[in-house]
Amino acid sequence: MSEIKIEIKKRLRNLQSLPTLPPVVSKLTKMFGNENTTAPQLAKIIERDQVLTSKVLKMVNSAFYGFPRRISTVSNAIVLLGFNVIRTLVITTSIFEMMQSGDLSLWEHSLGVAAASGILAQYLGLANPEEVTTAGLLHDLGKVVIRSEFPSLSQEISALVKQKKIFIREAEREILGGMDHSHIGQLLTNQWNLPERLTEPIAHHHEPSKSKKFFQETAVVHFADILIRAWGYGYSGDPWVPPLDEKAWEALGLRFQDLEEIIPLLDERILDLRFFTQEIRGEGFGQNNTLH
Amino acid sequence: MAKIILFTKQALAQVWHTILTKYYEVDLREDVREVTERVLDSPPDLLILELNEAPEEVRGLIATLKENLNLATLPVLLILSYGLEASDWEDLPIDDFFFEDATADEVLSRVHLAFKRIKRISDNNPLTGLPGNTSILRAIQQKLDRREKVAFCYVDLDHFKPFNDRYGFARGDEILRMVGRLISNTVFFHAEHEGFVGHIGGDDFVFICPQDKVETVAKEIIQNFDRIIPHFLDAEDLAKGYFEAQNRRGELELFPFPSISIAIVPNHSGRFKHYGEVAAVAAQVKKMAKKIPGSSYFIDRRKGPYRSY
Repeated sequence: MSEIKIEIKKRLRNLQSLPTLPPVVSKLTKMFGNENTTAPQLAKIIERDQVLTSKVLKMVNSAFYGFPRRISTVSNAIVLLGFNVIRTLVITTSIFEMMQSGDLSLWEHSLGVAAASGILAQYLGLANPEEVTTAGLLHDLGKVVIRSEFPSLSQEISALVKQKKIFIREAEREILGGMDHSHIGQLLTNQWNLPERLTEPIAHHHEPSKSKKFFQETAVVHFADILIRAWGYGYSGDPWVPPLDEKAWEALGLRFQDLEEIIPLLDERILDLRFFTQEIRGEGFGQNNTLH
Repeated sequence: MAKIILFTKQALAQVWHTILTKYYEVDLREDVREVTERVLDSPPDLLILELNEAPEEVRGLIATLKENLNLATLPVLLILSYGLEASDWEDLPIDDFFFEDATADEVLSRVHLAFKRIKRISDNNPLTGLPGNTSILRAIQQKLDRREKVAFCYVDLDHFKPFNDRYGFARGDEILRMVGRLISNTVFFHAEHEGFVGHIGGDDFVFICPQDKVETVAKEIIQNFDRIIPHFLDAEDLAKGYFEAQNRRGELELFPFPSISIAIVPNHSGRFKHYGEVAAVAAQVKKMAKKIPGSSYFIDRRKGPYRSY
């Protein structure tokens, strides 16, 4: 194993917490100050942040709390952890000291994939669309880890993407000794005891055929990722749309007419998300300084 | 080795740390956010916190641990400063304290003692961390004596025995922990300090909350239970919609998935004098609740004084 790979694995084992976007944390802090805030309202905001969502799920699935690999949605986690624990968890979340435009764009990409995954799962009649939405939200968690834990390597990766005009995943493999964000996401979410219905789509969203137990869910996230990249909502680190996996496409069994129904649904959801993300962008950079 | 988290910026910290590490695994921290994160991540066996270093955060952390995480048995010691009044203990449910200039010997003795005492006095259920029978009886009797407008609620699970038989005790315990958390969080969210939750044992729980909130609480518990229980069942059973297990006569039978029943007994003024009367009525009401298939609650609407019906 290459030295860099060993170092990454070591860092992941000792990883305490990931930073998130300051505006999301301050929005939640305001909600905690309001006595009328309900658990579902809280869930709605937490579900719009991959770092907070992963944090809540990590806690409820930890051995101590007694539900390893069981709980896959924020709303169920809040019910089991309770309001005050969630508050403490959010308040102690570290934030990006310097929020960069790229952080926001990745965050938007993840939200978009979450929305698309949920719509597809519902359309296809999968058992638990809320869960597939969560898997979509968390699919690029590995990228947050690279960005926050290995900032200089992260810059090298971005530079390589531009220079060689390759996918970010290929650039990651080159710089990180053969690992990419999907491996990192897989290692971390397994270490946190998240349910397999989440870890499989995170691990295999680029190669869905490797997914064993939750192939259908993984195929949904795979396609949602492609849809959102093609849509141009957010930015996941490179400007290209990755190839569609043939087996996954077959498994989804979607026809052109289906997409004609799905696209307008997604259009509406993304419009809705844009209001929210614009608000967060505004708070992050000041109204006159919106970045792209 | 028992694990202690020590949060302090006192000059003596190193001295305390040195003696404690002879007996315990000690994690010394100076940043309250780090402390909170570590505690939530994997709670230690004992916590020592310097109050004045971060009063609001320390109070918040203690409340979260004791009230919301069923960690009432986690001993918490405070380090106090001279000159500042030792606050209102009612709001600060800690186990012991020492002052900022305490000697290493004193600190060590207090820590040893805190571990011993918590074992001696706790009647909390080891599985859920919730108060056990002695505390439940005391809580009910207190509400009766004060004639508070509360409702006593007895909760149990349907088809839990065959579930244990089919899935094993480990899975059964997971469900009991889940139910304990679910009830606590729902009751305390709506009733805050007016609420009480206890674990009688097995799949029997009790909660107390104000009468005007009891139906909201009961409905929410049921709704959340029904939403979460599928995550504790195997995919093959979920697909079938039932599970197979032995019934009391030892024959294989088809059972619906576990559901939750809540018997609600309002404390109408002067109706009950003794907690035994509450328990007797609750047993009747529970029978009614259990007759309804699936998760349900049933309220005892009788208002007259208690007679043995």
